[in-house]
Amino acid sequence: MTSVQDLPQIRGVKNIPVEEFFTSGHRTCQGCESALVMRLMVKAAGQRTIVLGSTGCMYVANTTYYSTPWVVPWMHTQLGSAGSAATGTAAALSSMMRKGKMKQEPINVIAFCGDGGGVDMGLSAISAALQHEEYNLCIICYDNESYANTDIQVSGSSPWGANSTFSPPGKLHRIMNKRWKKNMAPMLATGHPDCKYVATTCASYGLDFTNKIRRALTIGGPTFVHCFDPCPKGWDYDPKYSHELGMLGVETGIWVMYEIANNELILNGASRAIAKGIRQRKPVEEYLTRQGRFAHMTKEDIEYFQSKVDDSWEKWWIPGLVPFGMKEDA
Amino acid sequence: MATVAVEVVYRGIYQKTLARNIVRSIVFAARKEGKIGTAFGRYGDSPERNGIPAKQFAIVADSPEELEENLAVYQAQEVDVTINVDDTMCKGIESWAWYGLEPINKLTKSGGTIIVTSRQQADALVEDIHQRSEPYNLAIVPATVSFSGLWVYKDDHTDARLLGALCKVCPQLVSLESMVAALREQGMNELKVVSAQKSYDRITQRPVEPGEGSTEIPFSFELPGWKKMEEGLVIRGIAQGGGFRGGELGYEPVRNETFKKWSTRSMRPVVNFETCIKCTLCWLQCPDTCFDVTPDGLYDANMESCCGCGVCDAVCPVPNCITMVNEAEFNDNNSQWEAWQKDPASYKQWMTTLTEKQNAGEERSHGFHHVGGYAEQIAKMGDS
Repeated sequence: MTSVQDLPQIRGVKNIPVEEFFTSGHRTCQGCESALVMRLMVKAAGQRTIVLGSTGCMYVANTTYYSTPWVVPWMHTQLGSAGSAATGTAAALSSMMRKGKMKQEPINVIAFCGDGGGVDMGLSAISAALQHEEYNLCIICYDNESYANTDIQVSGSSPWGANSTFSPPGKLHRIMNKRWKKNMAPMLATGHPDCKYVATTCASYGLDFTNKIRRALTIGGPTFVHCFDPCPKGWDYDPKYSHELGMLGVETGIWVMYEIANNELILNGASRAIAKGIRQRKPVEEYLTRQGRFAHMTKEDIEYFQSKVDDSWEKWWIPGLVPFGMKEDA
Repeated sequence: MATVAVEVVYRGIYQKTLARNIVRSIVFAARKEGKIGTAFGRYGDSPERNGIPAKQFAIVADSPEELEENLAVYQAQEVDVTINVDDTMCKGIESWAWYGLEPINKLTKSGGTIIVTSRQQADALVEDIHQRSEPYNLAIVPATVSFSGLWVYKDDHTDARLLGALCKVCPQLVSLESMVAALREQGMNELKVVSAQKSYDRITQRPVEPGEGSTEIPFSFELPGWKKMEEGLVIRGIAQGGGFRGGELGYEPVRNETFKKWSTRSMRPVVNFETCIKCTLCWLQCPDTCFDVTPDGLYDANMESCCGCGVCDAVCPVPNCITMVNEAEFNDNNSQWEAWQKDPASYKQWMTTLTEKQNAGEERSHGFHHVGGYAEQIAKMGDS
């Protein structure tokens, strides 16, 4: 295994580096949280980084006809290929360095995918990448809970009941997306016991986010970071609330922030405070009624949503992570 | 008449339903008169992005043959009427699929009309619109600019009022009677029909003479054709940034030269540098990397990259340190920090005047805030 870069944890928000490697001049929506993910991700990683991007908003809106906002090398890869592109790039770097065709140095390899490219299509390639212990790479999934680039189709990561191009509420059938959001990060963590780092985060918490990227890049081997991204276009809200809705998602307990490093689970921030009983979970109604995609929900729908979130905190083996427990006397 | 073409210039996603209602109603109304028409969005604007200017078209013809001449085109070559549903786009528009700034009157025929929804006076709008050598007319539908989102439509009658005005300024398109019939056919309520009729009666046009308007030369870029592209379609990355304005201190990123994004903006942040506590949050949370770090550790929003999302205002912990102000109030993209450095007293006066006017005026909303919010906003509007 090649060595990793020296990227110390950042102490305090004022010590986040000023250098930018994803700059202005991209065609994302006003208030795009995923663009912020790109910016902070590569800010944390630094200049000696290669970024690979599978199809989605962060490909299409960032690199239109002969134009780019990237300072670091960036390459497009196909929709389900974040895992294979990351493995291939890390393998190529290692091979070129071994053969003396490149200077020996640790280079960060980051592949990003949206929830469509990662949680749906690219799941098997990500799984394969996480088995390749010999390569240092990080796969980051920016999860805006739909195929947002192509105008909001349902993905396996879309929340129950959300309006979308594929699940428009009607008069007879109000709830058209009846699937509960896929439990992505715990699936990867439990499914790949040798993977040293799996984390969830949200760019609304800039320091938590940048430090998790740094830990993912320095712990060694393949790693995965799942990021919760409010999307003003698909979620239908005033873009100035991108930051606030990210926090509300965590404070209501819908999104749980944690890291699993070397097989140890640590809850972070508001999720930790909720689990320890230091603070109460906010009602999900505060989150749902702020978004046009849930505007058709009735009181009963909101109660159902609340009960599912309550279950994940009160009945699951590990709150928010593992939905089953041991049968008594098993 | 051969064909009549209308374009609706709108802000992506926010006004997509509004634009669709307008172009669709035009075609339905034309059918009432035995004409044939088509309504379509410009291919290059899809998938749309919040706020980035986009276009939809309605083309009406007397016969299928005449209509066909205008089909299968990327966009109409010229239009009889341009409907601009957000007055801040009078400064020019940069769609996400092309490069450089296009004047709002680019496709408007000589002698054609631009209809704008605005609270501003015609002379103020003419100042913003790029000058050209052919005359045109400007008509204003006095209204709060209508913004909503992809799923919940804010039905504030803007569509009906624009359609009523359209029948008046372009009588060769369709009559008001046909338009009213089309509105009823689509199930719009009688109050909307009244709104269309009132707008028809009240709309006035102000002729704009050749040479009148903004003298700014819209920025443009030369893009390489495929023969000039590098092997493997490599695009050169952006250079690394450095000190503020090339100095030793602060930080200023180098930016993508070929997409400026500021025509996406309908509001801009105005910063009170004296109350700033340098908490870094506006800079840190900006998705567009638009804040330059000044030598004194303040954050200067670069107005060529700010798209006006308002996140900086939302995350700022100091009350009134950042205020989002209507873009119509500004005539340049100059640095606020430089103006403040040069003359703090007059900067403060400028800032106070702007923010007080903004806070006293009506709220410029960017879409969905909470369930029931649109109804509250419409109730405040009254009869305009």
